[in-house]
Amino acid sequence: MNRPPTLAARIVMYAVLVGMTLFALYPIWFAILASGRAGDRLYTFNLAGMFVPTQWTFENYRTLLYETSFLTWIKNSLFVATLTAIASVSLGTSGGFAFSRFRFRGREAGLILFLAIQAFPGILALVPIAQILSAFGLYRNHWGLIMAYMSGQLVFATWMLKGYFDTIPIDLEEAGMIDGAGPIQSFVHIALPLARPMLATTALFGFMAGWGEFFLANILIPAPDARKTVMVGMFQIANEVNIPWGQFAAGAVLVIIPILLVFLFLQRYLEAGLTMGGVKG
Amino acid sequence: MVGWSGRRKTLTILLFVAPTLLGLLIFSIFPLVLNIFISLTNRGKFHPNPDCTQTIWKIVEPTCWLGNPPKGLAEPFGFQTPVYQNYADLLGGLFGRAGLVALLHIVIALLPLLAAWYLNRRFDRQLTRPVPSWMVWLGGLVGVFLVSRLADVPGAYNTLLRAGNFIMVNIRTILYVVVCMPLFFTLGLIMALILNNRHIKGLTFFRVILIVPWAASTVAIMMSLVWQFFFRERGTINQLVGLLNIKGPAFLNNSLWAFVIVVLVNLWYTYPFFMVSLLGGLQSIPQELYEAAEVDGASWWKQLINITLPLLRPIALPIIVLSSLTTYKIDAVVWSLTRGGPIAGAGKPGATEFVMLHAYKQIFETQAYGRMGAFAVILFVMLFAATLYSLRITRITKGAYE
Repeated sequence: MNRPPTLAARIVMYAVLVGMTLFALYPIWFAILASGRAGDRLYTFNLAGMFVPTQWTFENYRTLLYETSFLTWIKNSLFVATLTAIASVSLGTSGGFAFSRFRFRGREAGLILFLAIQAFPGILALVPIAQILSAFGLYRNHWGLIMAYMSGQLVFATWMLKGYFDTIPIDLEEAGMIDGAGPIQSFVHIALPLARPMLATTALFGFMAGWGEFFLANILIPAPDARKTVMVGMFQIANEVNIPWGQFAAGAVLVIIPILLVFLFLQRYLEAGLTMGGVKG
Repeated sequence: MVGWSGRRKTLTILLFVAPTLLGLLIFSIFPLVLNIFISLTNRGKFHPNPDCTQTIWKIVEPTCWLGNPPKGLAEPFGFQTPVYQNYADLLGGLFGRAGLVALLHIVIALLPLLAAWYLNRRFDRQLTRPVPSWMVWLGGLVGVFLVSRLADVPGAYNTLLRAGNFIMVNIRTILYVVVCMPLFFTLGLIMALILNNRHIKGLTFFRVILIVPWAASTVAIMMSLVWQFFFRERGTINQLVGLLNIKGPAFLNNSLWAFVIVVLVNLWYTYPFFMVSLLGGLQSIPQELYEAAEVDGASWWKQLINITLPLLRPIALPIIVLSSLTTYKIDAVVWSLTRGGPIAGAGKPGATEFVMLHAYKQIFETQAYGRMGAFAVILFVMLFAATLYSLRITRITKGAYE
């Protein structure tokens, strides 16, 4: 597979690449186009308008930001996602360190437990989670939602961080030990600073999970409007009888594009995260 | 670590593990346990509240903990008689005579594949293979096709669909996974092969562009709504078709179209994962092998079949297993596209109502929390077993690399 491809092969390959690029980008481009279209139409009836912006206007963005609850939803989502990230990383780091560095009874069992929890999707636990939250008055409350998210993210964060601590050579900590540092000191002063990039990455993943989640948010905060997260709010807009298409598209652009950028930036950490079932125990 | 042991060691480890464990205990482990208890009761719309005077609910039911339990006119819920009634309701149809016969038919129809697998194993041990492995697999598939005609597999499939909603959504979801995986893998492999070709210009550019759908999957609920607008009755596709003076169908109201669309959109989200992983696999294959094959005059196709695919196996197998699990658990994409519809009749799950959506819809529709608990427990056992199996596969294939 080393030799230079023939002309025909080359043409086929470029054709596939261009076709796939269109396939990959068109839906997003479509949303951008629709967000700048005047009037309450998502569709345009001229062919050119489906591929290039013909009459661009920011009217939809203005209406969305100033005349709907969109900004409140964004604020709610930012709050929930940020706290989910912070909570999962701060609770998961020490656990990840312990599972990476120490050998203790129940370690294997703990790792299996993580897998078991990972296998259990949040939707299936919704009824008991709702009961727990309502028992403590946290139903319809952002803090309740954060706790529900945090537990799901916690396993992920712990695995990621354990995997990262595994790659940090133990020699530095051993040197610290010889100088008289206990395990807590070596964790705080040696391992934590080294793990900083991974802490940030894990936090960003936690943020993205909280930002994009819909099902738990829809059940745990069904009302009032002012407490909803942006995914729930936008889903509701898209299912109204008279859908304000342009505003919906504008909202979609504002919600999706930042996440795309963050994700592309984090790309190289992804494989580590997604194959986390394979991290050696 | 050196220099510390005994009680201090135990305490330190506890100190480290405690925050993580505590977080998991409250919102992961406890809901699981509570689910098991709920699954044994008739809790639901008509029996919503616990009887907090009973010791068992005083302990496990959080609404009883704080002293002012929820009160209502309805009877409190209690254990089913027999206690496993909810499980019997869900799985009963499978263990009846008709269900077992139908299962048997399907198993028989799959026997040719087993035979193909066995033949391939035998051939692998011989010095020269009489038949290439893909031909054996093809033969197996043809065999499945022929036998499924004889054994009336469509009839068996329909029998199973009628054996209860839980079994129905499970079979549909498994069918969905089976349809999706070859598509994901093929498209991912094609793109990986192209991106692995050093003679193509702009590789880095394409590589970044082509993973955009993967990025969009983190906000799948929104992105799928955008996709949905293509397929609405007066959506983009029908508008384009309209230019040719054809009236397009209402895609999402047709069971088959809805299924196809859900596959297509999920292909959009998932091919980047396969592409990136397989590209990594391709790059780990030593170039010398291709050079040697080149010297022997092997064609591109021969190199693909005899070098690339066998050496990709250690990467391909785990990602297929992993992706099967996530595809089985698909929720947001389908919810935005079809809401599980189109619905065939009252009380019946829609054509694209896969397991997670079914579980989710039950919260509003039947509100039979007891039965949902049983649903969750069964699914948990299945998913956990599958996860352990995938872990094993990953370990085995890791061994192949080292």
